[in-house]
Amino acid sequence: MIQTNKHIANYKNISEDFERMEHVEPERVHIALNPPRCKDCETYVEVGDTVAIGQTLGVSQGPFFKLPVYSTVSGTVEAFTKKVMPGGEEDDVVVIKNDFKDTMHESVGERTDEEINAMSQQEIVDIVGDKALTGLGGAAFPTHIKMGTDKPIDVVIVNGVECEPYLNSDYVLMQERPEDMFKGLRYAMQAVSAPRGVVAVKETKKKLLAMLKEEAAKHSDLDISVVEVEDFYPQGWEIATFKSVTGIDVPVGTLPMEYGILGLNSSTIIGVYDALKYNMPVIDRYVTINGDAIKQPTMFKTRIGASTKHLLDKSGGFKEDAGDVNIVMGGPMMGQSTPYEDITITQTTASLLALRDENPVEEPCVRCGSCVYSCPVDIQPVQIMNAYKKGDKKALEQLEVNKCIECGICSYVCTSKIHLTDYMRKGKNFLR
Amino acid sequence: MNLVQKTAPYLRKPTARVSRFMGDVSVALLPLVVFAIYRHGLSAVWILLAAVLSMVLTEYVYNQIIDMLNGEKFKLKNKSFTISNMSIVTSGLIYGLTLSDVIPLQVVIIGGVVGTFLAKLIFGGLGQNIFNPAAFARVFVALSFGGAIAYEAYVDADAGATVLGVLANDLFDSSVTEYYSYWTMFSGIGMPGSLGETSALLIIVGGLYLFLRKSFDIFVPLTVIGTVALLSGTIALFHEDLGLWFPYTMVFSGGIMYAAVFMATDPITIPITRPGRVYFAFGVGALTLLIRIFGQLPEGVVFAIVFMNMFTPAIDYPKWTTNKFTFRSIAIFAAIVILTAAIATAGVHYAL
Repeated sequence: MIQTNKHIANYKNISEDFERMEHVEPERVHIALNPPRCKDCETYVEVGDTVAIGQTLGVSQGPFFKLPVYSTVSGTVEAFTKKVMPGGEEDDVVVIKNDFKDTMHESVGERTDEEINAMSQQEIVDIVGDKALTGLGGAAFPTHIKMGTDKPIDVVIVNGVECEPYLNSDYVLMQERPEDMFKGLRYAMQAVSAPRGVVAVKETKKKLLAMLKEEAAKHSDLDISVVEVEDFYPQGWEIATFKSVTGIDVPVGTLPMEYGILGLNSSTIIGVYDALKYNMPVIDRYVTINGDAIKQPTMFKTRIGASTKHLLDKSGGFKEDAGDVNIVMGGPMMGQSTPYEDITITQTTASLLALRDENPVEEPCVRCGSCVYSCPVDIQPVQIMNAYKKGDKKALEQLEVNKCIECGICSYVCTSKIHLTDYMRKGKNFLR
Repeated sequence: MNLVQKTAPYLRKPTARVSRFMGDVSVALLPLVVFAIYRHGLSAVWILLAAVLSMVLTEYVYNQIIDMLNGEKFKLKNKSFTISNMSIVTSGLIYGLTLSDVIPLQVVIIGGVVGTFLAKLIFGGLGQNIFNPAAFARVFVALSFGGAIAYEAYVDADAGATVLGVLANDLFDSSVTEYYSYWTMFSGIGMPGSLGETSALLIIVGGLYLFLRKSFDIFVPLTVIGTVALLSGTIALFHEDLGLWFPYTMVFSGGIMYAAVFMATDPITIPITRPGRVYFAFGVGALTLLIRIFGQLPEGVVFAIVFMNMFTPAIDYPKWTTNKFTFRSIAIFAAIVILTAAIATAGVHYAL
């Protein structure tokens, strides 16, 4: 109501106890040839070729970097075609039929700890870049560019804060592989010569915190700690996490590296471990199938390139009385809504939600101020909406609409059910 | 079943409803309504009914006329008329409770109609109004029928003069505290005055309810009352004839508590940011006190609210509006508070 709203009603979160977890090996995978931010993929395989896990299928050209594309199953290349991506657009994919043998490519192999300890920053960055590791939290920013920073880094922060309702794939991954996460953190600290490493987790996740603290104690030779952060939305937004952990307020639009902070998502840091220790790209991913229109919400572990339709069927499909269903890739606050059921799972796909379509009725604004009080970047959604409706460019600039991170809290808290976040987007586009 | 495509976010807070916080204000007013009826009997019932009905009906008739002008067919149930969100009922109750118990019903009705029409509907209805309809209606009644009703009614033989009525004649007359004990002023039992404004105790109960339900910003009433207490306290400190009774009387008599909790918190007519609301509330508190001391009216709070309502767009002006208290803004605000206190103190010292 008329107050600073930082909490989103606790929607039932599944899989905190691994009760409903399934391992799904897909029949065939669709590997996107153009990962986010990249285009013009050059392919190395042809239809009929046999490929192994970790084999390079092609190289995609980014704005100032190259990202190889890897096979996530072993089998035969069936076709080159187009398929719907989580963003809702169609993209080129290579279809590989799984032979379920899980043959590893010869490039995959274990490195000894001594070998890794002797590596320089450049060597580590090269390996991470070669394994095409991108931010798995959702932004898909290439990790090797972050890790290759020449700024002095004081602290590496592992962001294990999943703040959106319904999501918990990072939570499950951290519980499954805490050892690997801390080793990955050591490697990242080694790469940027950071004296301090921090794992940030919500204070409400008691079970996970106890487990991580026990694990952190094994790394007492380095300054590695587990920090409990307050459970509010959007705590998982990296700038909010940095503020909670270090107290440093990184201005929106600047690189955190300039403030001595390197932030990596918890699943990304496990990807760093896999890349360095086993020379392995990210091949699988936890995907939550959840939402109030799903019969049996389930946590799946599956290969990248699998189809969401397959997982949806495994979780029983939609409830009969669901009415109109809104399929969301990502969280319910910032995720992308798509009108498709059959979507390719990419590296950053943490969830598919099927939500009942609420269709709230908008009432006139009564200027209660909830949106203004709750905005994490201290802008004024309602005034921006009014300025946009009037087409007042100058006011939009003065109200700093471009600071908006589209976290969605203004629409969530609005007492008149006005879709303010949409006006923020329109306002930003209007200024462009 | 169909698949639909929407834009993020897809969740809405279930408890965030306009009707919830507007309704909460009505609930918070209930103890005052009961108290008014207990004290003044049937006349309170008629006045409150007239106040609420005149406002609700004005809105209804206005919406019907607008729909007719737009060439729509007459239907008894009007689509633009939104009584369900409780906004106009709440305004009516707030207005009714500010009135004296001996006010003629036709005055109540005229005030309600004019307040609703001129302060709310003419600007475009809910959410568009510049002035608080209840405060505007009360100001209208005070100005148009003031000479005959507003003040004389207070000085009625049974109940005696109101505290502010006495102080309007002589600010330094500490004898008011002999008529009315601190407890009388606080509880409102045996206090003369308008229907709902006398009992500070019940107003605080209502305010606590609104605070716990998070239906208003507690900073606003605290700032209004804090400003009155601070300024009157400073004045008393520097004047030999005034003592602790002066700030106490200023805070607990008249409509200041009532207006701070129920009128200055109406979100539609006050600035939208928390700092803006604090500045607004300070303006209301300071103006009320200045009107009481230097003006001819015993009661200034509704005037102060209507006056400050006019500054809302200026406080919310995009160029300087912000929801953050910065060191600079706090420093400037503190300087203005100190300056106001100094001017008021000097004014009492030399002008009166």
